[in-house]
Amino acid sequence: MDEKELIRRSQAGDGEAFGVLAERYKGKVFSLAYGFTRDRAAADDLAQEVFIKAYLSLSRFQARSEFGTWLYRVAVNHIKDYLRKNKHRLKAIPLQEAGDRALASADLGPEEERLREGQRKIVQAALARLPEKYRVILTLRDIDGLSYEDISRILKLSPGTVDSRLHRARRKLREKLTGRLGRQGGEHGL
Amino acid sequence: MDCKKAERFLLRSLDGKLDPEKKTLLQTHLEKCPSCQRKDRDCRMILSLVRPQTVPEPLPYFKERLLAKLEEKRKTAPALLWVKWAHRAVALSLAAFLLFGAGILFFRPQEPQELSQTEKFLLQGENPLGEAASILDQKKAEDRNMMLIFASVGDRDVSRRYRP
Repeated sequence: MDEKELIRRSQAGDGEAFGVLAERYKGKVFSLAYGFTRDRAAADDLAQEVFIKAYLSLSRFQARSEFGTWLYRVAVNHIKDYLRKNKHRLKAIPLQEAGDRALASADLGPEEERLREGQRKIVQAALARLPEKYRVILTLRDIDGLSYEDISRILKLSPGTVDSRLHRARRKLREKLTGRLGRQGGEHGL
Repeated sequence: MDCKKAERFLLRSLDGKLDPEKKTLLQTHLEKCPSCQRKDRDCRMILSLVRPQTVPEPLPYFKERLLAKLEEKRKTAPALLWVKWAHRAVALSLAAFLLFGAGILFFRPQEPQELSQTEKFLLQGENPLGEAASILDQKKAEDRNMMLIFASVGDRDVSRRYRP
């Protein structure tokens, strides 16, 4: 069924039509939430909450933008709220400990893979410590791979602001990681 | 090119947004600047690490669970709406009551005040002490007292009457 028709029916209160829309977009919304939480259950809860929020505010959607863009905006705002509420809990793990935990986990295979996973955890912990606006833009661009134009529409920022904020976010992340990943080894230790 | 500009180009190059001319300039700079080479290596490594290795699927029965929650929301929505509006009504009533109280307190109509005898004399350009002076000039105490009594009875303002 045509997306416009599905939206119209959903706005009229047809839950099944909204279910079809949710089925189409669940991957994207879940992936966005997973990029922030790195936890399957938490990302699933967040994605469900996003769709409920979207359904309840669907009457305000006026098709001035794509439905996907609007849904992404709802999702980003909801995830921002979640990050604010869980700020202290999410930042609790020190950077080095995050890497050590990954290295200590028994289910990883070869040495190089374990080191790589340790480094990944350190980067993830450093990302969680960035100010929210930098974390959001880095997740949208570097994790979800959205284009500058899409980010600009979702965050309601000018393309110039997207460019400069992304530039600052990447620099800050690199500064946070300087000297951290080296201790975990790897051929390109920082 | 200085290192600051090189860093800007470098970060842009991560998105493949650098035009060929700037790319050549960056390459020339990187060849002779070990510090920027390290930055370039760091940035590319972070970019490869920042993405999760795999993104799992949402938990099973995503749509079914969602529809069940929406149904639940729909059932509780009228009650929630009532609670929401009840809260608003209480808040609005309180605000209206406070505004009404403040209005009465600050914008109470002033009663027109009657002028005292002295003010009347002053407005007419006469000496308000003239009458008092003539009373006090009396040599006999009885006359003075009588005049004071008459003067106080003549004054309509009860609070200003003579009290022995």
